[in-house]
Amino acid sequence: MKVWKVEDISAYIESGILELYVLGDVSPEEKLQVEAMAAKHPAIKAELGEIERSMEVYAEENAIEPAEHLRSRVLNSILTNFADDRTFETERIEPKDKVIALPAQRTNNFYKYAFAACLALLMASIVVLISMYNKLQDSNNTIAALQSDKQHFANTVSLKEGELEVLQDASFKFLKLQATPKAPTGSHITVAWSPSKKKVWIDMKSLKMPENDKEHQYQLWALVGGKPIDLGVFDANADTADMKEMKSTALADAFAVTLEPKGGSPTPTMDEMMVVGKF
Amino acid sequence: MSKKRKISLSEEELVRALQNREKIAIEALYDMYSSSLYGVISRIVIDEATAEDVLQETFVKIWHSFSGYSTEKGRLFTWMVNIARNLAIDKIRSKDFKNQNKNQELENNVTFIDEQRNTVYNPELLGIKELVATLKPEQKLILELVYFKGYTHVEAADELGIPLGTIKTRLRMAILELRKHFN
Repeated sequence: MKVWKVEDISAYIESGILELYVLGDVSPEEKLQVEAMAAKHPAIKAELGEIERSMEVYAEENAIEPAEHLRSRVLNSILTNFADDRTFETERIEPKDKVIALPAQRTNNFYKYAFAACLALLMASIVVLISMYNKLQDSNNTIAALQSDKQHFANTVSLKEGELEVLQDASFKFLKLQATPKAPTGSHITVAWSPSKKKVWIDMKSLKMPENDKEHQYQLWALVGGKPIDLGVFDANADTADMKEMKSTALADAFAVTLEPKGGSPTPTMDEMMVVGKF
Repeated sequence: MSKKRKISLSEEELVRALQNREKIAIEALYDMYSSSLYGVISRIVIDEATAEDVLQETFVKIWHSFSGYSTEKGRLFTWMVNIARNLAIDKIRSKDFKNQNKNQELENNVTFIDEQRNTVYNPELLGIKELVATLKPEQKLILELVYFKGYTHVEAADELGIPLGTIKTRLRMAILELRKHFN
């Protein structure tokens, strides 16, 4: 190492490097250099000692007593290494003077946590609410579907009841109306009529007629003494129901079906007579 | 009065006891130095719970790395306070701590600490407050920044907009002023 003169040593001290060394604010190289210089020059070592002592007193002057409970916590965390069950007492020497301990002001985190909890609860509630709403919608849809099914079955049942009534009632007469030359060969309609009950039904199931277009409908007539009585209109479609109740009549010599403009006509168009049947 | 007294040893006895890994040594060490170290730590870290954690880490580190200390290197306290300061600075520069303290204003915490903590008044040190008060404001400021706020002298020069040489001189003058009164 370079030999330092006395002036150099005092310049080294004056440079302020020793203060920075004590404050831990030097590079590793500077640190080694200071330690080497101190080992070599008593004046530097003495100067370092002075600086260290004054900083230590300065720290004591600015000391803050840590909380009492910390003593046993710190010591016990170190002493776990001793692998014995020794613990340190938290209690320490109490000041002789009457010192009234002021309650430490603790930051109150309660509202922060309460707010967070409320927020979490709100989110959870919203999620539950949305899922409940979806379930309710599903249920409502199911109920609507069931109701429409039920209505459908009720309709079917009442229709079937009507049919049964006709079939079981001995007062009904069945008449098969046969095709006129106007209609395709084999066309026919079965009419059930009860003179006593004045009811007329046509059996749509066994109906065999050319399908009518949108502008026209078939119309059923009862002939009484050669005079036609309107018994209502119907359509000959593939999807028509089983039996259809027509307008009532107590008298009939014959039944006939004509093709009329949609909604029917007051008097039959005799040219368009499709089927006819007499008792 | 408590049955237990604060343990106090001379520095030589303490260092020897620590080197021999005696249990009494760590108790004495805590009783003698915890408030001085905590004074430095809690000025850097501010948050009380975190400062307590740092104090604990400091003593654990002192205990585990005591073989790295030798009396030739200087005073025990100098070695310990540098461990404490480095741990405290690591803590406030860690990401967790920055996030946690985003909303805390430094200014608020200075008065907060003063309200919250009872500074220890050592009778031997009575009068030193006034002596320190004789320091010039710029000398106090540089001591405060480097000793208690964990600035390096380079950072302090940056912060104050003062050349490095001036910072070093001021620091030396401030410590010389302290020495005048302590001796």
